[in-house]
Amino acid sequence: MRKLLPLLVLATLTTHVLAQQTQRALKKTTINKLFTCSLDLMFDTLSKDYNLKIVFERDSVSRYHVVDHFLNESLGHVLDEVCGNNKLHYWIEADGTIYILKNMDDLSRLKKMYALASAGQGANLKRIAPPEAPPKNFDFSISGKVVDQTTGESVRSATIRVMGTNLTATTGADGQFVFFNIPSDTCVIETSYSGFQTDRFRLTAQTIKLPITIPLYPSLNTLNEVSILGKKSGVMNTDAKKVGVLQLTPAALDKLPVMGEKDVLKAFQLMPGVSGTNESSSGAYVRGGTPDQNLVVFDGFTVYQVDHLYGFFSAFNANAVKDVQLYKGGFSSKYGGRLSSVTEITGKDGNTKQSIFGVDLSLLSFNAFLETPVTDNSSLLVAVRRSYQGPFYDKIFKQFNATTVPGGGGGGGFGGRRGGGGFGEQVTPASHFYDVDFRYTYKINADNTIAWSFYAGDDNTDNSRDLPTFFTSTITDGKITDYTKYGNTASSIKWSSTWSKNLHSNTYITYSSYFNDRNRGTSGTNTDDGVSTTFDNGTNETNNLKDIGIKSEWEWQLNNTVKLSYGGFANHQQVNYQYVQNDTSKLIDQHDKAFLGGGYVELELDPTGKLHLQPGVRETWFQPTGKLYTEPRFSASYTLDSHYTLKFATGQFYQFMNQVTREDLLNGNRNFWVISDGSTVPVGMARHYMGGASYENDQFLIDVEGYYKTLDGLTQYTIGQQGGGGFGPGGGTATLQQNFYTGTGNAKGIEVLVQKKLGLYTGWLSYTLSQTQNKFAVYGNTYYPADQDVTNEFKSINMYHYDRWNFAAVFLFSTGHPYTAPLSSYTVTGTDGNRITAFNVGAKNGERLPDYHRLDLSATYDLLKINGNKIGSIGVSLFNVYNHKNIWYREYQFQDNQVITTDVTYLGFTPNLTLSLRWK
Amino acid sequence: MEIRRSSPIIFALFAVAIFFTACTKYNPDVKSTNLPVIESYLVPGQPISVKLYQQKALTDTAQYGAPITGVQMFLSDGTQKVSLTESATKGTYTYADNSILATGKTYTLQFDYNGYPVSASSTMPAKPVNFVSQNGGITISSGQGPGGASTVLNVFSWSNPDSLYHVLAFKAVGAVAASNSFGGNRPINLELNAAKASYYNITNGTFFYLGNYQAILFSVNKEYFDLISNNTRTATSQSLIQTPTNIINGFGVFTAMQADTLSFVTY
Repeated sequence: MRKLLPLLVLATLTTHVLAQQTQRALKKTTINKLFTCSLDLMFDTLSKDYNLKIVFERDSVSRYHVVDHFLNESLGHVLDEVCGNNKLHYWIEADGTIYILKNMDDLSRLKKMYALASAGQGANLKRIAPPEAPPKNFDFSISGKVVDQTTGESVRSATIRVMGTNLTATTGADGQFVFFNIPSDTCVIETSYSGFQTDRFRLTAQTIKLPITIPLYPSLNTLNEVSILGKKSGVMNTDAKKVGVLQLTPAALDKLPVMGEKDVLKAFQLMPGVSGTNESSSGAYVRGGTPDQNLVVFDGFTVYQVDHLYGFFSAFNANAVKDVQLYKGGFSSKYGGRLSSVTEITGKDGNTKQSIFGVDLSLLSFNAFLETPVTDNSSLLVAVRRSYQGPFYDKIFKQFNATTVPGGGGGGGFGGRRGGGGFGEQVTPASHFYDVDFRYTYKINADNTIAWSFYAGDDNTDNSRDLPTFFTSTITDGKITDYTKYGNTASSIKWSSTWSKNLHSNTYITYSSYFNDRNRGTSGTNTDDGVSTTFDNGTNETNNLKDIGIKSEWEWQLNNTVKLSYGGFANHQQVNYQYVQNDTSKLIDQHDKAFLGGGYVELELDPTGKLHLQPGVRETWFQPTGKLYTEPRFSASYTLDSHYTLKFATGQFYQFMNQVTREDLLNGNRNFWVISDGSTVPVGMARHYMGGASYENDQFLIDVEGYYKTLDGLTQYTIGQQGGGGFGPGGGTATLQQNFYTGTGNAKGIEVLVQKKLGLYTGWLSYTLSQTQNKFAVYGNTYYPADQDVTNEFKSINMYHYDRWNFAAVFLFSTGHPYTAPLSSYTVTGTDGNRITAFNVGAKNGERLPDYHRLDLSATYDLLKINGNKIGSIGVSLFNVYNHKNIWYREYQFQDNQVITTDVTYLGFTPNLTLSLRWK
Repeated sequence: MEIRRSSPIIFALFAVAIFFTACTKYNPDVKSTNLPVIESYLVPGQPISVKLYQQKALTDTAQYGAPITGVQMFLSDGTQKVSLTESATKGTYTYADNSILATGKTYTLQFDYNGYPVSASSTMPAKPVNFVSQNGGITISSGQGPGGASTVLNVFSWSNPDSLYHVLAFKAVGAVAASNSFGGNRPINLELNAAKASYYNITNGTFFYLGNYQAILFSVNKEYFDLISNNTRTATSQSLIQTPTNIINGFGVFTAMQADTLSFVTY
């Protein structure tokens, strides 16, 4: 009986405590012993002497022999050594059992073997032991949070259930949860989340008194058994119970083909409803929406520039991101200010348990991060990324930069890009991007946390150089300036507070700025006939935006069936746009300011276990128009049975700021932001109607969703230089005419997702049938296919796991994008006798480019420590394996009176190598 | 998965199929390539002439489209309607009496082509007033680099109280010589778009040839301003937009303008 007692005590503890005990045992226990035996006998001895559960395959392990004398060595070190010498690994599960593995995929087999053997002996160690005492508390509530045991980070969207009841909860953004009406204090709580081992523990009269912290242990980098329905175990997950929600955890991103860098936004492009064929944009084209209609929120602040390197990479460093949620439409009233979708990115808090340092290297960039606890109450994360002009970078840079129009004219004139009128001395422009993430989290007390987040990212291209030598006879200090810079700087301070078990708030002070500067021109001093003239010709275009805001978001769980969310926000936004020519004449000098403020309220109702209703409303007062904008929202889901769910969402959405794209795409400054004024630039409005059904079992998820959206107050922009003809900037009479066109649109579509969630082979097939139309008076009175309209889009994502290898194959196919083509040309003679040429342009977007398709392959090899922890990976990625020439756009040029058509293509076959390393 | 259970999904697919088939495909306008191109400037004191071309196929290497002959063309000034006759030059239609051109009158051109009624209207703007040049000529530096381009050498000015559009054209009179080695491949004659301004600054970068020029200031209508503002040499499928025209069922320009001329010399 005395011998049994410790076992009983162990059994009543939670599974994660058992794992901690095993780890402590490995660290603290020292061994002084001589082993000269087979390895299986050594493990038997260790099990017996130190009361450990070591599981191994006797047949294979007995072939290894140990002849070693250990002197005062920790048990962990001993395991490292004997496993290391025999090319074995060991792995500690959350229940404290140590598994000895020859191959990392052996774990599930060993676990099954162990369970069978234990059952045979009349004990099932996986089951939670019966309660110590009869229940004392009934019908009470508990609250707490779920964290990652290894880093201390809170875990969002983990599923918690009170076993034996139908009480289920999903953790909120800060990992928090609350349950009401728990029947008794002997109930078992089960917690599960992708990439972690399922945790089960029994409540006791003591544990329910305080908030409960549930730490989850990571699962071995292989695939787990699945025990509950709805468990997510993939790179990318769909919330089958909500319409249009996608979730992503960057930790698993390296299983997908990597284009230079793990990329959180590009990964979403592999899911249905998010267009995957816009290589020149990291921004999301969601359900017929454009990237500027997608709200990107990072740690509470809005990000206005989400691209690096012409959109080939997103501005977010995956090492600094904890999780990403994409709401494809019909989203909650908590979010507003955009017509189409919301991407919410949550940064990592930084490891509160131990310091981790890591580097990622690729042919594109260098990426380093540090996560560390600073004090007992605070932690820090710093992540820095910078590109270098390696072969991969250069290839993309050239692809997106080197195509330009021959001939000077207009501003600058002497641009040294390809075909720049034959003037430029061809030099390789210096170009790079960088970004920095910094986050400091300070836990004031158990209920209050302050987090300071800072982000800065820039893209710079500098093609400045000295004036070509043939000018220098009369010119001194001649310089050609040619640079483009764009990026973001943003910061937020977030105060998270738990006011009571069921009231939780997040309050943010946010700052976000965006800039896009382009400077092209020549400067110097011209000395001619003894007269010196200082000159500075060219154009300088600057657009910047500043957004300062405060917002507070509250969640009040009234009981198990009613949750009330509410909050308020206020923002001050400022946009400056200047177009300066010859350093003096300001062709455009615009300064717009706007204040907007408002609030939202939303109810989440679960009247029965099956029905979920979520009505909400958002009110925004927008100062430039002086109007109040009301946005009703509603979503609902109904669970037919354990497999089928029906879902629906609708809502009205307003957008007060537009990103307008300059038509002269080739001249660098591609887009900038303008604030709506209610007339020239109207306030955009959209209505969404979305519905769907999903079927889910242990292995598969089938999700079908349809949508219909109407859009009003869309804005397009052109800028034309008028006057100042001839070569270069002429007289002081040049003007720029800004034309804003407004229009309407609609989008409809159906998306089908079939996902295999578990097993060595995982992946999904996605098909989208859609139609997106716009109507702008400038193009006529009928609807035409919007630029982003693709009829069919098919994606096949395949991942295969074998031991320490992950292989992936991604195939994308989409109908070609619509484009406008010239039908014919004509020439007339001007007043000076010179010819004026023009195109007779066909219907707006009346033609289709050829279909887009490509195949990407990747293989990643995990670097593991002897104890099974991942310390890095080596990967090779092949982009566009069969080198299909996907057309980006077509260029038309008059040459010898005829029109030459050139296809400008996206990236061809591009290989890449990546190396990731982590140190603790 | 049981077949019976999947019926909601099949139903949804079916419903959406209907949803999509309800839309008709967008047809580009096929007639537009059959429309004529007009080039006609009504300038008091100059013969009334309308050139009529076909459009060119994209791969056509001819400078202009093929002339359109045999069209019965009418010009009206609001009070009288006259018929134009085709001259010896094919596709050029003229009217001998240019005295019908007067300030403020609106002229309308009309004819039928390929079954479409083609028409265009333009109002004669006021003649340029007080057109003067600061100097009778300028000396162009041979080492004209970008530094010289911004130095103002001469100012042409005129009165423009009503903010009319103006274009300043320079036509060479007699032989000219290239001012430096890289000016030689540029056009000799120039057209400078002054928009609604009342002056134009001539810099060292304006002229590439030395010789005698006629400086002609035109007061023009918006249709001409739009045309030269959109002189397209290159475009992409993303930026392509129809060049504005004032011709109904046609392309090109039919516009009235008035001119005043000065002499100008580049040394």
